Amino acid sequence: MDNQMTLTFIARSENEGLARVAVTSFIAQLDPTIEELSECKTIVSEAVSNAIIHGYANNPNGIITIHAIRDGAAISVAIKDEGCGIEDIEQAREPLYTTKPEIERSGMGFTIMESFSDFLQVESNVGIGTVITFTKQISSARTLVT
Amino acid sequence: MKFNMTLHPNQVLVIKLYGELDHHQTEKVRAQISKAILQGNVKLLIWNLEQLHFMDSSGIGLILGRIRELRAVDGQTVILNPSETMQKIFKFSGLGGLIMEGSEQNVILQARGIVNG
Ligand SMILES: Nc1ncnc2c1ncn2[C@@H]1O[C@H](COP(=O)(O)OP(=O)(O)OP(=O)(O)O)[C@@H](O)[C@H]1O
Ligand SMILES: [Mg+2]
Repeated sequence: MDNQMTLTFIARSENEGLARVAVTSFIAQLDPTIEELSECKTIVSEAVSNAIIHGYANNPNGIITIHAIRDGAAISVAIKDEGCGIEDIEQAREPLYTTKPEIERSGMGFTIMESFSDFLQVESNVGIGTVITFTKQISSARTLVT
Repeated sequence: MKFNMTLHPNQVLVIKLYGELDHHQTEKVRAQISKAILQGNVKLLIWNLEQLHFMDSSGIGLILGRIRELRAVDGQTVILNPSETMQKIFKFSGLGGLIMEGSEQNVILQARGIVNG
């Protein structure tokens, strides 16, 4: 492991921007392309807003922890909440599936996270919480390392 | 977040978004945009994303929600100048077909033709 970072904040929507900036700066060390950076930023935004909207149902007392690791050309980021958890993970990952259509959620978060990452792991337990971990190879770093 | 709305003749509304559109920002702008669509009796809604630097699925929800409001009056939606990442997000969500090329002015002129038949 070459570098790591942990960020903890409460589940307020103002902190979505903070989470994106922190992870983006961490990844910037690998000299990613604009596309790679903006895709990672989108994944973080999806996972953090899911924790706030669904995991904690907008209760700002909830705690969200982000743990980012850099290992050579690979970046791995875990976004954790201790909220309500997901009952059926397979169903939640389906495109357009949402439990909150009334507040204009579109059910695209998981599809976007999967498409923009090389690997996406979803661990969740009802009443305990959810951890979303994504990994992505950064191309410029890949050419440097190999 | 900063955003502009301009109502052009023939009930064409152009919304220009600036900065980052996420869950937090969407909650702040939705009501105002909805009101403008209703009051302007809008037939064509153009989202100009030239100055938008970031958007996640909250933007999809915002645009789909307004498409639903426009359906009542057969209103159309056009998306202009999305970034590469945003284009991918629109395509995943089935909204890729709303993206048009060209300047805002040209699209307004062209689109009036579409609206007026
Ligand atoms: N951290 C979480 N805790 C509890 N439930 C979650 C969590 N993340 C996702 N879910 C559940 O999975 C569903 C699908 O999530 P996804 O992000 O794909 O869509 P969405 O958040 O509903 O809509 P969008 O992301 O398009 O705004 C959610 O509606 C919710 O029921
Ligand atoms: Mg989501």
